[in-house]
Amino acid sequence: MPSSLSNLRVICAAVVLLLTFTHPAAAQLSFKPTAEAVQEDKLLNALKEGDKITGRISIPDKMASSLIQPAGRDWRDFHRSKLPIIGGVAILGMLALLAVFLMVRGRIRIHKGFSGKTILRFASFERFTHWLTASCFIILALSGMNVSFGRTLILPLLGAEAFSAISAYAKLAHNYLAFPFMLGLVIMFLIWVKDNIPGKIDLEWIKQGGGILSAGKHPPAKRFNAGQKGIFWIVIIGGTLMSVSGWFLLFPYLPGNVTVLQIWTVIHAVVAMLFIAAMLAHIYIGSIGMEGAFDAMGTGEVDLNWAKEHHSLWVEQEQTKAGAPSDNTPRAVPAE
Amino acid sequence: MKVFVSALLFATVAAVGVAMFLNSIQEPSSVAFTTSGARVGDPGHNLIGPS
Repeated sequence: MPSSLSNLRVICAAVVLLLTFTHPAAAQLSFKPTAEAVQEDKLLNALKEGDKITGRISIPDKMASSLIQPAGRDWRDFHRSKLPIIGGVAILGMLALLAVFLMVRGRIRIHKGFSGKTILRFASFERFTHWLTASCFIILALSGMNVSFGRTLILPLLGAEAFSAISAYAKLAHNYLAFPFMLGLVIMFLIWVKDNIPGKIDLEWIKQGGGILSAGKHPPAKRFNAGQKGIFWIVIIGGTLMSVSGWFLLFPYLPGNVTVLQIWTVIHAVVAMLFIAAMLAHIYIGSIGMEGAFDAMGTGEVDLNWAKEHHSLWVEQEQTKAGAPSDNTPRAVPAE
Repeated sequence: MKVFVSALLFATVAAVGVAMFLNSIQEPSSVAFTTSGARVGDPGHNLIGPS
């Protein structure tokens, strides 16, 4: 028995040696780590959208079980290539458009000049709500753009250390100022929605280009004209989308899986770029673009001639309420 | 100007208040995801603060 076992061992060894030396290629194919790496790349390409490779985990974080998710590459490519284009076109395009408009049209002046009398346009609480939302928006916009473009635009200027310190604080501000911004949005909706319902008069305002394209032409408008109503709904709808998507970014376990979270980040980023572009137009027309407009949110009182030119129906309504005649004199307060 | 400054102050106070509230009700990931079968080490700090 021992001799037959010994013979068997010899035969096996001979077979192995024979196979090794007569088929070296076959022996190499069975162990080729570099070839495996190539196959991994093929595997990633073969995975379809929504496919993912998962592992087994023992911690409560279910998302940690995703090992490879090819959709993540599309998401990363979107942030690196498409988002800068969308942001660049929207924000720089809007700035260019406003610059051209200012050069061509110039500052929109009060046609009849300042009357020296003012009328209350926004009460303190309305201005408080506006500035609460606006100040949060500005910090959110700047810190958000730092997340999207900071690495490309600011890091080379400031260096890694300063950039990371600024980014850390900007991220904290972004996270927590989101809450007063959302509060401002809700109050803004509640106090102004009744004056921002679109009506027939808005069509006429739009047909006449709001009177801002040619001097001395002023279509009638109530408290808010069609342009302001447009801004109001952009703020409400855009702000709501930003809030909902931002909520999922703040609490990333709410969406349930990484793919849904990635969709919300894309919505957050794209809406943010469009939102910022729209607000640039709002800031322009409320400051350097139109004479007398800033007072509405500055002191709350606007010049009577400005009000009559841009919100004629509203002025009539206010003067009727106050029991004043609808000519140029009345309940208006002398400007300081 | 008073209204503007009040809005800024309110935004700051609200943001700090929310930060304190959220920090008081949330656990760090190293605590939240540690079970009797798996212990997650302290991940330290990163760009957005304690992990």
